[in-house]
Amino acid sequence: MRRSYLGEFEELVLLTVAVLGEGAYGVAITDELDRQTGRSVSISAVHAALHRLEEKGMLSSRMGESTAERGGRRKRLFTVTALGSRTLHDIRSMRDQLWHSIAPNSLPAISL
Amino acid sequence: MKPPTQRTNPPRWAEWLLEWFCAPHLLEEVQGDLHERFERNARQFGEPKARRQYAREVLSFLRPFAIKRQPNAYSPPFFASPDMLRNFFKIAFRHLTKHKVSTLINLLGLTLGVTACLVIYLITNYELSYDTFHPNGERIYRLVGDIKYDATSERHSVGFIPNAVPAGMRKEIAGLETVAAFHNLETDVLIPNGEEKPTRFESRRRTGGNADIIVADPQYFDIFTYQWLAGNPKTALNKPFNVVLSENKARKYFGNLPLSEILGREVIYQDSVRASVSGIVKDWTQPTDFTFTDFISMATVRASHLKKEINLDSWNDNWSASQAYVKLPAGTTPAKVAPMLQQFAQRHYPKEMKFWPALQPLSDLHFNADYRDNYSRKAHLPTLYGLMGVAAFILIIAAINFINLSTAQSMQRAKEIGIRKVMGSSRKSLVLQFLSETALLTFLAILIGLLITSPILAAMQSLTPNGLTYNLFSPQNLLFLVSLIVLTSLLAGLYPSWLLSSYLPALTLKGQNSLKISQKGYLRKGLIVFQFTVSLAFIIGTLMVGRQLSFMRNKDLGFSTDAIIDVHAPWGDKGQVLAQKIKQLSGVDQVTMQWFPPMGSSHMVTKLTYRGKKTIETDVSAKIGDANYIPLYKLRLLAGRNYLPSDSLREFVINATYAKVLGFKKPADALNQFIEFGDKKLPIVGVVADFHEQSFHEKISSVFIANMPDREKQIGVKLATKGKQADDLKATLTNIEKAWEEVYPDNKFDYTFLDDAIAKLYEKEQKTAQLVNLATAIAILISCMGLFGLATFTAEQRTKEIGVRKVLGASVVSIVGLLSTDFLKLIVVALLIASPLAWWAMNEWLKSFAYKVDLEWWVFALAGLLTIVITLITISSQSVKAALANPTKSLRAE
Repeated sequence: MRRSYLGEFEELVLLTVAVLGEGAYGVAITDELDRQTGRSVSISAVHAALHRLEEKGMLSSRMGESTAERGGRRKRLFTVTALGSRTLHDIRSMRDQLWHSIAPNSLPAISL
Repeated sequence: MKPPTQRTNPPRWAEWLLEWFCAPHLLEEVQGDLHERFERNARQFGEPKARRQYAREVLSFLRPFAIKRQPNAYSPPFFASPDMLRNFFKIAFRHLTKHKVSTLINLLGLTLGVTACLVIYLITNYELSYDTFHPNGERIYRLVGDIKYDATSERHSVGFIPNAVPAGMRKEIAGLETVAAFHNLETDVLIPNGEEKPTRFESRRRTGGNADIIVADPQYFDIFTYQWLAGNPKTALNKPFNVVLSENKARKYFGNLPLSEILGREVIYQDSVRASVSGIVKDWTQPTDFTFTDFISMATVRASHLKKEINLDSWNDNWSASQAYVKLPAGTTPAKVAPMLQQFAQRHYPKEMKFWPALQPLSDLHFNADYRDNYSRKAHLPTLYGLMGVAAFILIIAAINFINLSTAQSMQRAKEIGIRKVMGSSRKSLVLQFLSETALLTFLAILIGLLITSPILAAMQSLTPNGLTYNLFSPQNLLFLVSLIVLTSLLAGLYPSWLLSSYLPALTLKGQNSLKISQKGYLRKGLIVFQFTVSLAFIIGTLMVGRQLSFMRNKDLGFSTDAIIDVHAPWGDKGQVLAQKIKQLSGVDQVTMQWFPPMGSSHMVTKLTYRGKKTIETDVSAKIGDANYIPLYKLRLLAGRNYLPSDSLREFVINATYAKVLGFKKPADALNQFIEFGDKKLPIVGVVADFHEQSFHEKISSVFIANMPDREKQIGVKLATKGKQADDLKATLTNIEKAWEEVYPDNKFDYTFLDDAIAKLYEKEQKTAQLVNLATAIAILISCMGLFGLATFTAEQRTKEIGVRKVLGASVVSIVGLLSTDFLKLIVVALLIASPLAWWAMNEWLKSFAYKVDLEWWVFALAGLLTIVITLITISSQSVKAALANPTKSLRAE
């Protein structure tokens, strides 16, 4: 099966878009990533990733309504496409498969 | 939240930066997101931090995805794509061939303009490049100074120094890296050739070449870098009787001998100074004032009879042949050395004679006429700048023609522009189109200019600097040509292209003129006025310079110059013998032994003292000749008599000005008064009327005429002209030459006509006149071509109007008048502007003359009248043609 390669950061961004649902745009995605992963994410990196994902066809976008707080500028709102969704599922099932293949106790124990 | 009046804003520059680099399709969301974050940050952390954060974020967007523009199916193609350019040139070519008259006018005008620029560039570039090639040239200075020979004389600048100064400085002033003295020597050169008589090369005094022989310190070659072809640069000039030759000079002396065989050969200077060749250097090829080719070692001076001519220990005498150069160490400025020079001057010149040494930069050598010497040719910087100005004006006039003709014809292209705009042409591409048309024309003009530059320079040899060399295709010159194309294209094409591309397609396609009327007329009229102001100023200049020249040619000089020649006998005592021989020739009227003729470039001043009621000591110009001098030159005696023939100085004749200076009311009062000259006290026996002894720049000053046989080396000859033809004069000259050859078999016959020698005083003015005439001709020619083009065009445009007027009964005369008055008004305005400008400029020029013509009003009127006549001739052919056209024809076509 031919599948587009996704980088780790791209995967996170794609997932965050899915998490945010209707309200996924640059600032919101950055904030959400910040909160969820705890690492400081630069807004330009997020924009670059969104741009790349859209080029790969995993995201689609439309311009939202203009709001006063951004000086009248519209937001670009992203939604995950079918291809994006499939890719996420593929990654997940591949990971699950790998987890299941790990022999019990072969990983060093860690205390949670 | 803060109230809106206190709204905080992100940094301005960051906003601009973002808007500039960010791709338009991304800008809105990116900027929106950044603003949202900025406002939140400003609330949370305060404005300064938010602003810093904003700037950081903007910079972090400098990534390929944000910068890359989005491809768009409808985006305009690159405005200078090869396809479009091909189309531009095709249309340009069609347009140029369709409007042949205006193309020809523009092409001719631009050709004249760019050729003038090119020629003047070559000349000025040549002059300005003099001695710019020396390594470390900025550290090389010439020792010059101010001198005052005694308490009563004036302090003046000299480009030479007392002989002992360079060696003294080398010893006493530590801060000078290298000091090199040299002396110009003017002598015949003998080359032993195995036969009884050695080959003789005559001194440049006779041949009129560049200064070639110097006696130089070995340090000369430390200051000026030569490429050595033979000999040891370290030791070549260390010993007496050594000489270094340049390669070309060595070839001239010894033919095609191998260089190594030339070393050690003998060269004889001044008949008995035998020097052996110790080195050969390559000639410099770049323009230089250091034209020397024979470098005799300085040690030769003390070891030979040269010491009689060059006294190296003399502090109190100053000859123009004595030169010295200094190379300062890196980092030293002349200002740092100045105090030491001052102390040096105080130490050595405490008494009567004063000398203040100074340093003249090498770059100043070619341009500063205050510091005179025997070898450098001075270029007049203001003249060079004037030339550049002339070039600029001519180019501007040509560009104005182009602007006027193309804006006048712009309506014909309005439809084309409309269509192009409708088809999606941007303004940028339209401007580019019209500029490419201009560039095409300029390029053609430059090609023609390149073809005719060499013939022009060859034809104008009298105006170009001596030895002018140039390479049309040197990289520097090509760069100039390219910038000339760009500059001319922009100058001529920018306004028309801006105007044409501003047309609104909706209006032009409907056939309406979208231009505002006011904008249309005034610029063109203003430009025509400017053109004619320049032309008129040139015409007034031509008239005035011509008047002054003819004044100088025709004014009575106070003595006769008719058919008088001055025979320059070589040094020695055989002049008398030659004079005797000449006197016996049949076509010769009178002969005098003299120092110099009454008027010419040589001018000697000495001090005379008169002890009357009070003592009057003044500089008086000396005219020295035997008793035939006054009658030969027909100097007019006001009182007294000519001095009597004698074999020594016995009596003086003075001029009227000197008599007045001495306080005598009538010339006759001066007779039998005594004047002191050195230790002699001699009577005045005659007073002659004032005569011009220098150029008209100088006022007539005090003059005495006397007989000093030991000075009288030249021979003034008056040829008999009564009842003679030009052929007879020639025969007499041939006879004189024969006599010369009997006396001086080794030297070339050397003489000048007095008229020519006097005309030579005004060489610079002659050149100015020729230049102004040329500039005037070109300016008028170009202006008139432009006017002709405009007249053709307006006559064409007003065909219908003229038709209607004729039907309603207008006469041909009134229509010609109607078409001409518009232009004539402009000429009158131009005359009003040009007159004060030209008056001021000519006044400045005339200020340098002590004897000059007045600036009279009729010169200005004449210039105006001339221009009006020329204008009328130019435009009348077109306006008469339009006025004579049959109205049935012009009105029928619609």
